[in-house]
Amino acid sequence: MREFTKGILRRNPVFYLILGLCPTLAVTTTVENALVMSLAFLFVMVPSAAIISALRNSIPRNVRIPSFIVIISTFTTVIDLLIHGFLPRFHEILGIFIPLIVVNCVVMGRVEAFASKNPVRDSVLDAAGMGVGFSLAIIVVSAIRELLGTGSIVVFGREVIPALTGSPVGLMILPPGAFLTIGILIAIFRRRGLLKEV
Amino acid sequence: MSYRDVAVLTVICVLSGLVLFAVHSLTEKRIGEVENLEMARLLSQIFPSADFREENGIYLAVSRENGELLGYIAEAEGKGYGGTIVLLVGVTRDGRVRRVRVLSHSETPGLGSRIAEDDFLSQFENRTVDEILLRRDGGEIDAISGATISSRGVVNAVREKMLELSHLWGSSG
Repeated sequence: MREFTKGILRRNPVFYLILGLCPTLAVTTTVENALVMSLAFLFVMVPSAAIISALRNSIPRNVRIPSFIVIISTFTTVIDLLIHGFLPRFHEILGIFIPLIVVNCVVMGRVEAFASKNPVRDSVLDAAGMGVGFSLAIIVVSAIRELLGTGSIVVFGREVIPALTGSPVGLMILPPGAFLTIGILIAIFRRRGLLKEV
Repeated sequence: MSYRDVAVLTVICVLSGLVLFAVHSLTEKRIGEVENLEMARLLSQIFPSADFREENGIYLAVSRENGELLGYIAEAEGKGYGGTIVLLVGVTRDGRVRRVRVLSHSETPGLGSRIAEDDFLSQFENRTVDEILLRRDGGEIDAISGATISSRGVVNAVREKMLELSHLWGSSG
């Protein structure tokens, strides 16, 4: 169970490992984007980790990185095609996020650091935990950015938090807003000692 | 590198190719159908209650009631920040934009992807070709803040397509 829970906060991929910052910056402009990205990410992360963990003893060390990349990108493309064909409404929203996952270094990072060295069960738990941790991180960051940047939070056309302020800070939905938010959150978490070794 | 390294990587690549081929052929037909439906939906968003006839890559929108020609819809391509942006540009017979819709794009989610939203696209409605420039370039279209390249990609694509088709509604348009 520790393999699952460590990724959620103590070794959160965004706040502790500082991985996956590119999608964290790019998609956290709205909570809706973050939710959709989280889903797409879990779809890819968990099965990729399982496959690579199952194959870990047959992949030679020298060629492990290209092998992982081929496996992850194959998997991402398969997911993309299946969603496009069978869940078109879903694909409309998810479509542009899927290519971003191939370059998400949380996937590569966990596969290299964990799945390639541990049994399938632990690897799946690790991947799921990291996925949940990544999801929570981008949802928290996006909630802060959307609320401050646009004044309210709207998810799939429904206003979750109505307008609090009449003068939103536009900077927050631009890239600097993401850096500021992530930096301040990391500072708070560190100060409170929440990001610790397992 | 040993022979085993090469062999394993080759096997993985071949397997990956096979898996992709299998999934692609499994989904190709469905994806085609989905895209046709999407196309039909977008066409009727631009000219509701019209029938469409394709001629030389241009869709002619014909009134369902009296068969009168309402306007033209053409596909336009522009270069965005993350790749090609494909649009449907609907133009009325007097050379004004009826509506612009995005068929596909790969702009940054949350920034450039907002080109597909109504807030941005509705700015094109009723514009003539001369007005279709970003405001900073002397036109009437406001760029999305933080996504000037994506915005300009759409503007240029619409503008070029309008110029290309201008013979359809006479040079005055």
